[in-house]
Amino acid sequence: MITYSNKIKEIAKRLLKECRAEMVIGFRKGSIPMMNEPCFVRTDEQADDLVWDSHCGINLANYLTSRDEKIAIVAKGCDSRNIVNHIVENKINREQLYIIGVPCQGMVDKRKILAQTEGEVLQITETENGQITVKSANGEKTFSKSDVIQQNCSVCIQPNPVLYDEMVADPVQGQTDIDQFADVRALEAMSTEEKRAYFDELLAPCIRCYACRNACPLCYCPTCFVDESKPQWLGKSQDIMDIKTFHFLRAYHCAGRCTDCGACERACPVGINMRILTKKLNKDCLDLYDWQAGMSIDKRPALDVYQTNDPEKFIK
Amino acid sequence: MKNLLELMGVEPDRIHFSWISSAESTKFVQVVNEIAEKVKALGPNRHFVKQEAKVA
Amino acid sequence: MKVIKIDKAQFADGYKALQKVYKLFGPVKEKAFYNFKELVDGRQADLSFQNTRLSPKSIVFPQSEDMFTYTLDEASKDANQLKPVPEKNESRAVIGIRPCDAKAISLVRMNFDTQEYKDPYWLNLFNATTFVGLACDSPCQSCFCTTAGCGPYHEDGLDILLSDQTDHFLAKELTDKGAKLMKAAGWKTKATAGLEDKKKTAESKITAKISTDNLSGADTLALYNANFWEDASFACINCGTCTFVCPTCWCFDIQDEVHAKNGKRMRNWDSCMFPIFTVHTTGHNPRETKLHRVRQRFMHKLKYFVDKYEKGIMCVGCGRCVSQCPVNIDIRKISELMNKQASKNICAVQK
Repeated sequence: MITYSNKIKEIAKRLLKECRAEMVIGFRKGSIPMMNEPCFVRTDEQADDLVWDSHCGINLANYLTSRDEKIAIVAKGCDSRNIVNHIVENKINREQLYIIGVPCQGMVDKRKILAQTEGEVLQITETENGQITVKSANGEKTFSKSDVIQQNCSVCIQPNPVLYDEMVADPVQGQTDIDQFADVRALEAMSTEEKRAYFDELLAPCIRCYACRNACPLCYCPTCFVDESKPQWLGKSQDIMDIKTFHFLRAYHCAGRCTDCGACERACPVGINMRILTKKLNKDCLDLYDWQAGMSIDKRPALDVYQTNDPEKFIK
Repeated sequence: MKNLLELMGVEPDRIHFSWISSAESTKFVQVVNEIAEKVKALGPNRHFVKQEAKVA
Repeated sequence: MKVIKIDKAQFADGYKALQKVYKLFGPVKEKAFYNFKELVDGRQADLSFQNTRLSPKSIVFPQSEDMFTYTLDEASKDANQLKPVPEKNESRAVIGIRPCDAKAISLVRMNFDTQEYKDPYWLNLFNATTFVGLACDSPCQSCFCTTAGCGPYHEDGLDILLSDQTDHFLAKELTDKGAKLMKAAGWKTKATAGLEDKKKTAESKITAKISTDNLSGADTLALYNANFWEDASFACINCGTCTFVCPTCWCFDIQDEVHAKNGKRMRNWDSCMFPIFTVHTTGHNPRETKLHRVRQRFMHKLKYFVDKYEKGIMCVGCGRCVSQCPVNIDIRKISELMNKQASKNICAVQK
């Protein structure tokens, strides 16, 4: 990871010096364990702040929307897929970007660590061979990284950037033969009543802070449907029906666009796995249209095109 | 659309899609009757209906 | 001020007695984290918690709250009249509120309970509630209460302060409300020891700091126009997490909701992080960018409030926003930047 960080600093400095970019978007070291802060750097000195480790889960494509500078951006696999989305949806031009590709080995799930650690987490360190050591108020504990990465990382099909100008290291071995959608299928198999109960429980803790929506690079509408007041589509209280409507409709807006980067779930302060909704749509897009979002800038999204062989079983 | 609604716990028979040309009156009647029958069998929808908001 | 000793073995009996008189609230563990909940069916507060995910402000300031109802149904005798919602004034008690959260409620009170205006909804709930605090002997790494005008044994806003002494609690009665609760619980054994020793130990455990000493004298416009805001606000995604988990954030939005011929007016928490918070009916938004909004949040807490009330900052150092922010925006860092800028002692006109 230190080699990644050093390489990123080196590339950033070179790009700034050569005027290839006005700013470099990346991460700087966070002020608490397991957190890093997205940042931009414009100078050599600032470039020394750039880091890379297993706590860079926030999707940086989010910070590109409608910017007009020439930007270099650090991107792992999912970030690069969302950059592709942004280019396809005209939110940024390819020519504006210099993509510094990072082969990703998965991001640590803060919640998994906290759930398995006694006492407050004080420090976390990672070795090159995938061991994570957590120092807490009550002692030390070592985890195997694969046990504590985010669920979306454990079923990730694209750890390497799909689009880049330069890589910081050789690509990592991607996963094959993984079952991406086991959780969706388990839910599909439930009865109607069970499904309702599942979502009642899932969404009950929601406080409508909209961190899931705002952490998502797909959610760039100037005014979101939940904020719209003329007409007002949705009540703003803690009424469970309004909460559900928000989550369900948000998911629909991500159909055929979601890369399952996990930013929404990661950002949620109350630990809701709202990814189950977008994953269902991802699964349908794959089954029905053989489509996965953000894999190529030359392809139009599944819901953007009509093909004569589009499935129409649902039409009577 | 229908798939996610189904996942959320809306009975599949509540949602129907059909292409009917303006000249296909017989088909229209037939489809509407079929839908009505299916929805009647399910009874009134009591979920996913916003009642008066219940808050603290 | 009496100090009472409560054996932990006696605690359950006291609870039972209290539950007859008070509607009780306390920290309980839900799946992965703690939150304050109403304690129903004899459920006890779990006092082994470190900090709750959400602050207990919702006990006096619910996230969504009815203000009044109305009906347009001419058949009803109340047609076209505003009907106040029944006052919620049954006795309530919060068991185990942290001193920081209690202090936060007394800060919020400066807004809801003023000479000119008294917010009936907030005050009804506040007056009906007895606050039983639990001193904080193992503060989190992200806590900075001692430099935020608060502390692990701070008493402001509390009616009783409990201190855990392994096999018993020491309870310091701070107000009449508190004495009444102690009586109702039947806890009356006078203690011989005080809370001072543990207070010192707890305070010494808090290492995180917030620097605010230069802020009150600083020129507001110079701070407002400081050039660190772009860098400091870049990461912000403008979600409402910090404001919703914050015990001192009090902003709300008023909404009417109509169902058939009946309607109600309610208020819901709002957040200065949301663009819609300041949109005018003309469509103009004076806080158009996230830089404006992030700056507003910190300027309000660390500067405007300081100047308006002269009671310190509007932050109690609970650390929730620090640990919950999805992009690691840290009020301690921002305050440091602001304080440093303030130390330069420049005023905007001289710049």
